Amino acid sequence: MPEPSPLPPRKGRPKGSASFAWRAFFQQTRTPVFVLGKGRRLRFANAAWEQLAGAKLADVLGMVCSARRHSSPLAAALAPTPEALTGRPDRARRPAPPNRTGPPWWDLFFAPLAGDDGPFGVVGFVTVVGEAVPAAARKIPPGVMAVRDRHAGDFTFALLAGESAAAGRFAAQARLAAQTAVPVWLVGEPGAGKETAARVIHHAGARRERMFVGLDCGGLQPYLIESLLWGHGGLAGSDRVGTVYLKDPAALPRDLQQQLVDLFTDDRPTTPRLICGSTRPAGDGVAAGTLLPEFHTALSVLELRVPPLRDRLADLPRLAAHFLDRHGPGATIEPAAVEVLKAQPWAGNLRELADVLAEAAAAARGPVKRDHLPWAVRVRAGLEKPAPPPSLKLGPTLEAVERRLIQLALRKADNHQTEAAQLLGIFRARLWRRLEALGIPAEKSQVVKSKTEDRQAQGNSGLET
Amino acid sequence: MRYPQLVVLDPDGWIARQLAELAGESRWLVRGPRTCADALALAREPRATVLLVRVEPAEDKTDPFALVGDAHRLCPDVPVVAVSDVKLPDADRAAWSAVLLDLGARFVLFPPLAKAVMEDVVSGLMAAAVRRVVGGEPPPAPGPRTPPAPDDVIDLADEGLHG
Repeated sequence: MPEPSPLPPRKGRPKGSASFAWRAFFQQTRTPVFVLGKGRRLRFANAAWEQLAGAKLADVLGMVCSARRHSSPLAAALAPTPEALTGRPDRARRPAPPNRTGPPWWDLFFAPLAGDDGPFGVVGFVTVVGEAVPAAARKIPPGVMAVRDRHAGDFTFALLAGESAAAGRFAAQARLAAQTAVPVWLVGEPGAGKETAARVIHHAGARRERMFVGLDCGGLQPYLIESLLWGHGGLAGSDRVGTVYLKDPAALPRDLQQQLVDLFTDDRPTTPRLICGSTRPAGDGVAAGTLLPEFHTALSVLELRVPPLRDRLADLPRLAAHFLDRHGPGATIEPAAVEVLKAQPWAGNLRELADVLAEAAAAARGPVKRDHLPWAVRVRAGLEKPAPPPSLKLGPTLEAVERRLIQLALRKADNHQTEAAQLLGIFRARLWRRLEALGIPAEKSQVVKSKTEDRQAQGNSGLET
Repeated sequence: MRYPQLVVLDPDGWIARQLAELAGESRWLVRGPRTCADALALAREPRATVLLVRVEPAEDKTDPFALVGDAHRLCPDVPVVAVSDVKLPDADRAAWSAVLLDLGARFVLFPPLAKAVMEDVVSGLMAAAVRRVVGGEPPPAPGPRTPPAPDDVIDLADEGLHG
């Protein structure tokens, strides 16, 4: 074992140090430097690197830097090249984390530290290439933004306001919600218009220039919601999103609920506003164990109750006009028809009203009269008698089944009656009798037809000769 | 209940091919309209529907974006899935996703477009749409068998025996 060489003179050595303090040495440079140990684990990074990466060394110390599929963008960026791992210096260009695409890029120079049995570490140097495209420059084309603005313009307080006391109270509460940025919890029956109310609150609020993102927690698998928010191009870190609307967050698993709580209780200026919609108050969800308590304590500061349609029947003419407007400018409704609508229980609320009016508008092709309303609506209003109970007479039912089975067998057998009889498991004579009794016309099969045609053709040719 | 339908506005039919197996097993109709107007008309039919729209993040093709917005305005219960095959940087992808979701899309898919993910998105949204139409629990998941041809079904309602 050779004696270690004596320490170099003071030059290049921090003052007062007995040996070379390489960490302090690297801290003095503005070049971002990092050191990977065996197993590609991060062992050191200087302050310039911390500043560039936006991460504290203490938080990422020991991180395995590999370019595997599930590696974080930072770990993937620092992963040494195969060339460097074999002991040869190498360069690589990687997207600057946390992005997975550039610009900007990180140009990395890997200097392997050779040992007796291969490299035992790598020193890396980072140079930034290219400039990040600022968010303002990543503009959505004006044509698309015009579509978006036109769509946003449809969601005004006129959708919520009405003559009824319930609608007036709710509209006033929604105006208050729009003036603040606190989380809102909307409670209402299915089809009452919770998401529409959430959009109105968003588009009337201070964040109206940013986007409204509605997530159907019951309709999408949790991993899809997670990927939409935190995956590649995830919306959780985007400054584009103004409000996130969660439809029934109690349907989410608790770990994802916790992630959402962490996201929406963060005080960053880009944190989007949260509006939740549910059929039950947040407190009920917490009591039932389907919702984290934070949703009740921190994320439902304003709890608004969206009134069901039966509580705002005075608004029916205005609501009907609004829904009929979807079916063209000529679609109006007569007062008598409105009276019929007022007699309905409206368990499906506005959604049911929209469906009823869509059916009526299709039948009317003009002003909707009482007779154009769906039959079930007229029955409930007492305008029509309910349908008689279904027939239980055995004879006609069996006859109908027999007819359909015979037709099906004939179709499958290409109208070949012997084959059809075999399919039905009866003799051919019986099939004939049943065809006659049921009045089913006997058609010739293609095979029989073609054979007959052949015979005729042969006969004709024989006559000619 | 009428058969649920999958309306796919995709010029080259790639999306419909990816979902054909799922649609067959689940007994969904798959409709491939050629224009945005046709797609909107189909989406407005009174049956459980999921609308898939191929979008190009570019200025000169605003029609699919307008379709997403119109579908949300005219038939808000029809979930719309926007699909793009354009690879974008993360920030741009987030910006386009945000716009599409703001217009009313329920989900946005960017590359890599995995068949399994598309199936998960569509089946989840279709189940929710069916729940809305029937107003209760979803029907039991269909077994893995090929759907019967319409000719094999004997429906006595056709005979006028049952109201």
